This record gives sequence, structure tokens and C-alpha cells, in this order.
Amino acid sequence: MKNTVGLIVNPVAGMGGSVGLKGTDGEIYKKALELGARPVTPRRTKECLSRIESKGDITLFVAPGKMGEEHVKAFDMPFTVIGEVGEETRARDTKRIAAEMVDRGIELLIFVGGDGTARDIYDAIGLRIPVVAVPSGVKVFSSVFALSARAAAKMVDAFVEGTDVTEEEVLDIDEEAFREDRLASRLYGYLLVPNVRSFLQPGKAASNVNVSSVESKKEIAAYIVEEMDQETLYLLGPGTTLKAIAGAMEVPKTLLGIDAVCGGELVGRDLNEKGILGLLERYRKRNIIVTPIGGNGFIFGRGSKQFTPEVIERVGRENIVVVGTRDKLSKLDCLRVDTGDFELDELLCGYIEVTVGNKEGMMVEVRC
Amino acid sequence: MLRKSIRLNMNEVPYLPPQEVIEAARRSLAKLNRYADPEDLGRLRALLAGYSGVLEEHVVLGPGSDILLREVVHAFSQGRKIIVVSPSFFPTVQAAKQFATKLVSIRLSPPQFDLDINLLMDQLKEPCLVIVDNPNNPTGKILLERQAVEAMIENTGVLLVVDEAYYEFSGVTFADMVHDHPNLAVTRTMDKAFSLAGARIGYIIAGEAFGDAFSSFYAFLPQPSLYAAIEALNHPHYVRTNVQRVVEERERVWRTLNELAARVWQSSTNFLLVKTEIPEIAERLSDIGVLVQDLSNQLPSGFVRVSIGTGEENDAFIAGYVKIRETYLENL
Repeated sequence: MKNTVGLIVNPVAGMGGSVGLKGTDGEIYKKALELGARPVTPRRTKECLSRIESKGDITLFVAPGKMGEEHVKAFDMPFTVIGEVGEETRARDTKRIAAEMVDRGIELLIFVGGDGTARDIYDAIGLRIPVVAVPSGVKVFSSVFALSARAAAKMVDAFVEGTDVTEEEVLDIDEEAFREDRLASRLYGYLLVPNVRSFLQPGKAASNVNVSSVESKKEIAAYIVEEMDQETLYLLGPGTTLKAIAGAMEVPKTLLGIDAVCGGELVGRDLNEKGILGLLERYRKRNIIVTPIGGNGFIFGRGSKQFTPEVIERVGRENIVVVGTRDKLSKLDCLRVDTGDFELDELLCGYIEVTVGNKEGMMVEVRC
Repeated sequence: MLRKSIRLNMNEVPYLPPQEVIEAARRSLAKLNRYADPEDLGRLRALLAGYSGVLEEHVVLGPGSDILLREVVHAFSQGRKIIVVSPSFFPTVQAAKQFATKLVSIRLSPPQFDLDINLLMDQLKEPCLVIVDNPNNPTGKILLERQAVEAMIENTGVLLVVDEAYYEFSGVTFADMVHDHPNLAVTRTMDKAFSLAGARIGYIIAGEAFGDAFSSFYAFLPQPSLYAAIEALNHPHYVRTNVQRVVEERERVWRTLNELAARVWQSSTNFLLVKTEIPEIAERLSDIGVLVQDLSNQLPSGFVRVSIGTGEENDAFIAGYVKIRETYLENL
């Protein structure tokens, strides 16, 4: 049983919402305080902790004061405080304490916050251990977050019971743009989370089809590699599905970058537009393989700016291969593109076949 | 004492069949040591053919239409691409995933959930088995019109199966086309409008091209199911009453949910597709004893499918929803 769990609460997350601010990144939280905002994380933290059924089995490490310690005192749970913080907490506190907790051997980290907190956690621990993300921010766009505090509690229980884990995206939302009612996001990284689909789907219909997302990615990867032509240049976009494809070829892959393979060999790593265009000069046959960003469905224009309109035009729509798990696609209304070139976006719109498994495709609409 | 949950998650019709139907099932218990009489199986087949307006030779019985759909997928997956829509009746997708050598799902995109017929036609350039539930489960939407069906089955490389589980509610059927089109089949069930979910009687009205698959498929139906079904078809008037009551309730629930700021789709079935901003609404309703079908494995979060129950059951669902919504809004 995995039962050593850490807890970090971002005490200012979500405070901007009630006073009309769209986040508390940086110094904005002070403005939220001036406007009369009250902390929202205590209630979310309490709701999550109170609903964890495996509390008795958990060895808990918590951040000090309002970053954790204050919230667990109300529960009959022994805990150990990690680190020290001042009166005002900062992102660097979150990062430092998260890293220290992992060094102390926690197997799961619960954090309460928003997209900014998720980025801090990613910076600190990456894919070293899984997390349960309790949504409490003004901006909670990253798919890493549980649907609610109660869902987060179930994820903790599932993890303690030994469920598998899957990767979910951490997005970087431009808070300034968000305040101007524009949603500008980019893929920032991935965190591991317990795979709890089975808990969220109690009906008979889906009871025995919950192939884990890790298995699905392996299946997609095996199929794509089997179908690869030895003379074609494949430009692999960001994401763990693409990483799985590279893994099946036994070549390294940057998680967030664009890498190129041909004939089973890596021929370009973490490429920018210039590097990609250089390769396109050398190879006559070329494909782009991409996966949509979870939650918003972008295949171009978010997270892979290196695929510029010129690159996409030179490769051609017919040579774009989209891959993604059924699980990821089920959460999307459609796929999206926003390359910055409206005419190209229009050309990319319409249905495209997404490879979702071995010899299994799904025709999904692309919108712009 | 444990309170019994209200089941609005299985698309059952909440009303019992007439007493004669229940009595017919009960009488059959006296012969429970015997298999069903083949002559009586023949009687049911003939009655279903008459009810559907087709020749008896086109009708094949089975213990539930999902079993028949699975049989079709199993029999015709070799050497054929299987095409289904997504979301769709889950057992069909499950069977397709298990047996297909090549599977293409056509995604019905929210909020319209339309099936792009041109896209579907483009997929028919190689031998195919196409399975479409019409109306669709879980959207409740009619996906196929007669003209589209005609266009598809003109292509003899295509085998088309239309699942008409909710035919009595939609009034839309292509069963009459089976006689002239060997590559068309229609699946139906007595689980829904006939109030016989517990009996599990399904049937397929199959064109000649499907004949081989079912030549050795002989279902010995359970005796209570068989005699209940025969009696039901001798009193089909109650089906109309069932449908009328369900549709009236469905429209009432639809109007009420619309007023409560939930997104509800028009339906040609005995269920409604509902989208709400309240996270985990299915689980929250379950906590207060109302079961609805969570669709998070097929659609973006927030979608549930709600079967139409009795007036009292629907009121309990609406009251529960109102209470959950109030609590949710208070805690925002």
C-alpha cells in the first residue's frame, strides 16, 4: 500500500475570484485583500480531507501554517510539518517544500490551488511522484485538476488502494490576457495523477472498458510505429502520447519540444521553426504527428508554436497525423486550431481521423 | 431501513405491463423444467413480423438486442471496416472494439450532435459494416433520414445495421426497406416501450445478406420472457399508452430543466441528455437516492442521461437537482 502523502495549500489561490480579479499570480493577491477577498482554500482543503476514507492508513507530511498545518489540525490525523514559511507565502515556498517532501519520501502530493500552483509544483517535482490537485484557483484550466474537492478525496483513496497513474497537462495561462477576457494558454508540462475514471463512472456501461491511459498510449504508439515508412520524416509534437511513440521506437523525446525521426533514428531534437524548415528541405516525404491538448483540444497554435503556418503548409493537411486516447477525446467538444493564419485555420477545419488505438480511428471535427 | 433508489439510469419504462402479460409469465413457471416450445418461439416470431410489417423470414429472435448486435459484429467484422458513431449505445462500441480488424468512430460533436452524412459516405469506399443507433443513445437525436439510408445501401459493399431500440418513441423506422435491400438490418427490443426490460426480448429484422450469420443462431428464450412477449403482442394497445405517458412526462421534465438553467436536448426517446455546470451531478444525485447515467466516459464533463420515470420519480429528480444546485451556487 502506498500511503505516505504530502499536503501543500496555496493560501491565496482563488481569492481574486470573488472580487472580480482573474487570478492572484504575483502581487495581485494584495489587491484582492484590499478589495475584501477572503481565503477560499480552507473550505476546499477541509472538504477534501474530510472525505478521504483512507485517512487512518495515511502518513501525512504537511507544509507549515496556513500552507497545510492549520488545516489538518481539525482532523484526527498524525502529521509531520516540513519546512518553514514567513507570514506571506510565495511561489518559492511551494516549490521548496514540495521538493523537500519528495526527498523525504512522500509517494503522493495533494496540493490545493490553481494553475499557477500547478506550475510551481511541476517546476519542483516534475514526474517524480503523482499528485492530487484540489481546484481552488480562479484559473483552473489545467486538466491535472480533480473535478472538485470531493473528487480529489476519491483520487487519494484510489491511489492508496493502488490504482495506476496517468499524465495530465499543466497549462500556463497568461493572467494579463485573461483579465482582458482573452484566453492565451500554452502547454507548460505534465504531472502524474491517479487514474480514477472508474470511480467517476459507476454505470454498467463502462464497467469493463477502462483501459488505462498509459496502456492506450502504448497501443497507439505500437500501431503508429508499425505503420511508419522508413523514408518519411516524422515531426513529433509535444505530449506524452508522442513520447510513447518515441519510446516504442527507442529514441529519446523531449516532452514539450518538437523532435524529428526518420528510419527509426532521431534526426532532430527540440527543433525551432528554422530547424524544422531545414529538415523539410532535406526530406521529400514528411509527416507531422500531434496530439490535442487535454481540456481545450488544440492541435496547433497552443503548446507547439514551432509548427508555424509555413511549416504546416509545407507539410500539407493530408500529412498531418493526429493521435489521442479515447479518454482524452471524450472530454473534448472538438479539436481546435489557431495558427495565427486564419486562411490556414480554415483549411485545417473539418473532420480529421484521430488514431485512438490499434487500427482504430475516430473522425473528429476540427474547428477554428 | 434503506431507502430504495430511484432508477433513472437504465432507460427503463417505469410502468408495469398489463396484468395479462404478467400472468402469462407466471403461468409459464409451471413448465420451468422444460425449454421453450419451438412452436411458441415461432408464434412470437410471427407476431413480431406482423407488428413490424415484415415477412416472418426476416425476423430473428434473441435474448436482448445488444446480444444480436454483438452477433452481427462478430460475424461480419472479418475483412470489413466497422463504422460506428460516438457517443453510441455502449455494448455496440464494446463489441466493435473487441472484434474489429479496423474500427472508425464518427464523433458527434456537441452541441448539435449531428451526423455528417457526407463524411459517413466518404468512409464507404471499402467493405464496411455500419452500425448507427437511431435515435442515438445517449443524445436522443434522430441521426438518419430515409434518403441517407437509401444512399448508403445502394453500395452493396456496405452492410448497414440501424438500431431502433427506441422506435416506438421516435416513430422512425426503416424496417420496411429490409425486404428490398439485402444489406440492411434493423434491431429492436421489447425492453423499452413494451415495459419488458426484465424479459430481455430483442429481435433483428435482417436482409438476406445477414441471413448466413443467423442460420445457426437459434435462441431458446426463457419461458417467462417468451410467454410475456406473446401476450404483450396480443395486447399492443398498452404500448401506445406507455409512449404517450412517457412523452408527456419527458416534455414536462424538459421544460422544467430548461427553466433551471440546465442545457437539455430535445429527445425522440424515453430519456433526456442533460448538461449542467454542477460537477459530478450524477454522484451528487446518487447520494440522495436518484440514479442517472453519468456520461463522462463518452462526452465532456457535465453530461448525464436521465431516463423518464413516473411523475413522482421525475419530481424527486427535479427536487433533488434544485437542492443540489442551490447548495452548489451557495458554495461558489
